[in-house]
Amino acid sequence: MSDITPAKILDLKGLPCPMPVVKMSQEIGSVNVGEVIEVHTTDPGSLSDFPAWAETSGNEVVDTEQGGEFIKIFVKRNN
Amino acid sequence: MDAKLKKELIQTFSERLSQAAKMYLENCSRCGLCIEACHAYASSPETRYTAVARAQNIRRIYEEYFKKGKIAKKLNEAVEFSDHWMEKVYETAYTCTGCRRCMTYCPFGIDTGVIQGIAKMLLITADMEPKTLEMLADMSIAKGKTIEKTKENFATAAKNLEKEVLERWRSEGGEEVVPLDVQDANVLYVALAGKHSIIPAAAIMNAAGEKWSLSYFEAVNFGAFVGNPAKTKEIAGRIIDEAKRLNIKEVVICECGTAYRVMKHMTGEKPFGVITLVELIARYLEQGRIKLDKSKLPGKVTYHDPCQIARQGGIYEEPRYVLNHLTDHFVEMTPNRQANWCCGGGGGLVAMGEKDFRMKSAKVKAEQVKATGAEVLCTACENCHTQLSDLNEHYGLGVKVEYLSDLTAKALVQD
Repeated sequence: MSDITPAKILDLKGLPCPMPVVKMSQEIGSVNVGEVIEVHTTDPGSLSDFPAWAETSGNEVVDTEQGGEFIKIFVKRNN
Repeated sequence: MDAKLKKELIQTFSERLSQAAKMYLENCSRCGLCIEACHAYASSPETRYTAVARAQNIRRIYEEYFKKGKIAKKLNEAVEFSDHWMEKVYETAYTCTGCRRCMTYCPFGIDTGVIQGIAKMLLITADMEPKTLEMLADMSIAKGKTIEKTKENFATAAKNLEKEVLERWRSEGGEEVVPLDVQDANVLYVALAGKHSIIPAAAIMNAAGEKWSLSYFEAVNFGAFVGNPAKTKEIAGRIIDEAKRLNIKEVVICECGTAYRVMKHMTGEKPFGVITLVELIARYLEQGRIKLDKSKLPGKVTYHDPCQIARQGGIYEEPRYVLNHLTDHFVEMTPNRQANWCCGGGGGLVAMGEKDFRMKSAKVKAEQVKATGAEVLCTACENCHTQLSDLNEHYGLGVKVEYLSDLTAKALVQD
């Protein structure tokens, strides 16, 4: 279990393509630089999509968690 | 607009001027047969939503820079590039879903998609393309470069889907339920990010005893939506390389119309076949490899032909063949097949949001669905599914919107 304290939790479970990444890109500006958004998703593809999006947007996936009812992805705003 | 950008735009236009493009720009007789073919115009009768008006925005630039004769230019209302006119170019590119229904009514077969392609490239040159589509295309390209770092996580997520796949179909003994990296597999299945595009397909392929492998990449190609041929090629190239590495016989594209169009028709010759999931399901039924229980789907069912799979890809009968194994209560929409109304969500509009325009421009689709009296509306494209779900809510259609693959997986006969 991650010990990161998120500034915001974003529930993206069950959204159709490509909404998880679209919502993430819209929401990243709502937290301060250095803060983390905890994303809840049911999309296996998000585990590859989010790091790729972070790479292009200058942000960072700092942790992921699987095994529960949904996937958790922790995204840190870097700029 | 500064002279430098103007010069760049003329150069971009020039590079897109194939002989086909010139023919489409020059041959329009203004007969108007395309006007009422557009779902946007049929839903909201404004001239700017006609195929001819959208094309005219591009033709008038063509007249200015690529045709000779002062009188002809005046008669044909030639215009120079300007900030104002680039707004018109945007309208040409993004009030059109690229469904090509207009093309089927045009006596000259003018391909709106080619003219729309010019508009989209001009917007990219002017840095006016929708940033959401550009971001998604760039993400897909980056994924091709970062995939090795995330493969293990994705494999764990695929493994975690086993329970839900097994609820629809028990796997053959000793086999992976959601296999990855299967060398010499018959099928490389390319899904979308969501588990809803993996679970039903996995159950169906396992039920058929298929030797298959799940792709690490998503099928959708946002390079095509934003109209950038180089990005389109690079995004598709990730899947082509994976299929070559695994020596795959056939790439099967999930329920995503654009993904199918790109992989089937826009990537040249490949050492493997490309089909849609609905074709694979029809094949399994024809070969007796899966059987379906009709009692699982009561009530009237109708089918929306996704433009990129049907009108573009020519896949009309396979979904109906599958539906006839799923129900005795299938009802056609009118019109259907080649003449079906576009749902109004294509061309990147769903990803961009644009809900007001999507709802306004697809009133005719909502009315078409309502007239069937169906309780279940199914389709074989995620983009269409999202748009039809939005229309269902907006217009109070009272239907259940379903994927054809999900209906199939839920009806699998277990013995």
